[in-house]
Amino acid sequence: MKPTEKLLQIKHLKQYFNEGKANEVRAVDDVSFDIYKGETLGLVGESGCGKSTTGRTIIRLYDATDGEVLYDGISVHSKKSKKELKDLNRKMQMIFQDPYASLNPRMKVMDIIAEGIDIHGLAKNDKERKKRVYDLLETVGLNKEHANRYPHEFSGGQRQRIGIARALAVEPEFIIADEPISALDVSIQAQVVNLLKELQEEKGLTYLFIAHDLSMVKYISDRIGVMYFGKLVELAPAEDLYTHAMHPYTQSLLSAIPFPDPNYERTRVRKIYDPKVHNYQPDEEVKMHEVRPNHFVYCSEKELEALKAEHL
Amino acid sequence: MEKILEVKDLELSFHTFAGEVKAIRGVDFDLKKGETLAIVGESGSGKSVTTKAIMRLLPENNTEYKNGQILFDGKDILKLSEKEMQKIRGKDISMIFQDPMTSLNPTMTVGKQIMEPILKHQNVSKAEAKKKAIELLQLVGMPKPELRIKQYPHQFSGGQRQRIVIAIALACNPHILIADEPTTALDVTIQAQILELMKSLQKKINTSIIFITHDLGVVANVADRVAVMYGGKIVEIGNVDEIFYNPQHPYTWGLLSSMPSLDAKDEKLYAIPGTPPDLLSPPKGDAFALRSEYAMQIDLEEAPPFFKVSDTHYAATWLLHPDAPTVEPPAIIIERMKRFPGSRYYEAENGGNHQ
Repeated sequence: MKPTEKLLQIKHLKQYFNEGKANEVRAVDDVSFDIYKGETLGLVGESGCGKSTTGRTIIRLYDATDGEVLYDGISVHSKKSKKELKDLNRKMQMIFQDPYASLNPRMKVMDIIAEGIDIHGLAKNDKERKKRVYDLLETVGLNKEHANRYPHEFSGGQRQRIGIARALAVEPEFIIADEPISALDVSIQAQVVNLLKELQEEKGLTYLFIAHDLSMVKYISDRIGVMYFGKLVELAPAEDLYTHAMHPYTQSLLSAIPFPDPNYERTRVRKIYDPKVHNYQPDEEVKMHEVRPNHFVYCSEKELEALKAEHL
Repeated sequence: MEKILEVKDLELSFHTFAGEVKAIRGVDFDLKKGETLAIVGESGSGKSVTTKAIMRLLPENNTEYKNGQILFDGKDILKLSEKEMQKIRGKDISMIFQDPMTSLNPTMTVGKQIMEPILKHQNVSKAEAKKKAIELLQLVGMPKPELRIKQYPHQFSGGQRQRIVIAIALACNPHILIADEPTTALDVTIQAQILELMKSLQKKINTSIIFITHDLGVVANVADRVAVMYGGKIVEIGNVDEIFYNPQHPYTWGLLSSMPSLDAKDEKLYAIPGTPPDLLSPPKGDAFALRSEYAMQIDLEEAPPFFKVSDTHYAATWLLHPDAPTVEPPAIIIERMKRFPGSRYYEAENGGNHQ
């Protein structure tokens, strides 16, 4: 698959909290990237690096401080009529990290999944509404008997499936999955990841997959972006990121992953990232440069020369 | 090597409104001096309950110890009074909990919290305890310890808090350190630091560590021996190489195959079908049989005993019975076995190098 059509364009996106005050936090600081139709873009980084905020700003859970997000050419954050907004909300959906906290404990699974259907008027009558929910439950590997139960009657993996069914209910094109498997057991993680992959193939979905588990991210993503302190520091095809990690932070992140192989673990050497190594001068311009085809690194001109010499 | 702890045929249940949950259904293992034993398994497999039983931290009112012994220093821990147990807890055996955010007291300075076990178990003055607390913080790699001991937990990051929890656990140079998912809540880079710290401290004070986790990467990194738990039992136990390169139990195969490898892509990830057993009414035979494609008739009828694979490696699966048919493990497991001298798939030229 060679995805070329841009579904989302994120341009110089900034999300500052407490702007202008002493405790200003630059959670997302001038981040630009595109998401192609039908691909999975992985976003990784440590907690607090701004990866979740990026996802939440894209889907308009926050108003952006600056910059713009274009969905199919339409600016997400601009002023819109109610209808336009609803339309956009239907196309973009989110799956949350914690399957325990993201389902209303007082609603039945039927109503949780059908909430979007109701809001967008996707079912003409009650019969159709039910049928849709049953179909969705089947799609995610549950069955229709589950519709009349409450969230507490399900295990973590099952709840995450309900969360996925809810996201799928409004037939979205683009799904942001914010650490959808972090709270699940290893054997269940594989089930959920396989489900997400199958759904993508079936429905041509586009994913933004936010996670800190790098081995799973590599498995599911076509391209991966690495964030550090609000900045995107590297963006590359999944394979290339692992074989040719260029930014020293990416290298340190990759070298920190323990691998289920004792011999490999005995020889693994961890690299430590020190932001001082860059030694950027005040007049130096630091930005994303394309070092290899489709492989972008946040660096200065001087570093770019060195990287090109090493990796081309 | 000298055995420091022996768990013998431990069986325990919780009495709940729904009925009797048979959480531990016969667990046997020992811990040797200075080694790290990793216990892996999914939530509900009984790994945390086993270690909480060792610490006697399970609620007395609804826990029933049905059978077995936990021998430490020649004494059966299960028979000690709460008072005697308090002399062991935090001194001979101490514990690191999963979540550093909730295992520290938010209203006490960290200095006070580190001094607490020292004052309780060692006959020292407050000034000496404070000195020791500063040394401990230094030991776990905290900068400016003399200033930091006056601060409260919320003034530290997650990784720093876990270092403080480790400092508290190590305050009395315990013989056994139980670490219950100590890095699960942390980022990979911080996790790497904490694991390195634990390993270097283990060398310095020669403690034995029981390390509970479900991350097999972490296991490969820290463990000398590994016990795999499923449905309240140990299903396989052996040296780290034996478990990773010559696994015998279908559950271990499933666990190892469901992790994506860093160099493979595109092929579908192997997922163990179904969900863990309900221990309110545990299955009669092999608890894993219903989720296993390798299950035989006998697996549904009778629980398998331990079969010996080597002097250090045992697995509870009928597949190892002399009368059992020979089965092919999943391809990804055969790849692993090729690297293990002594396995039937061993290929000498594949000398064990990764990549």
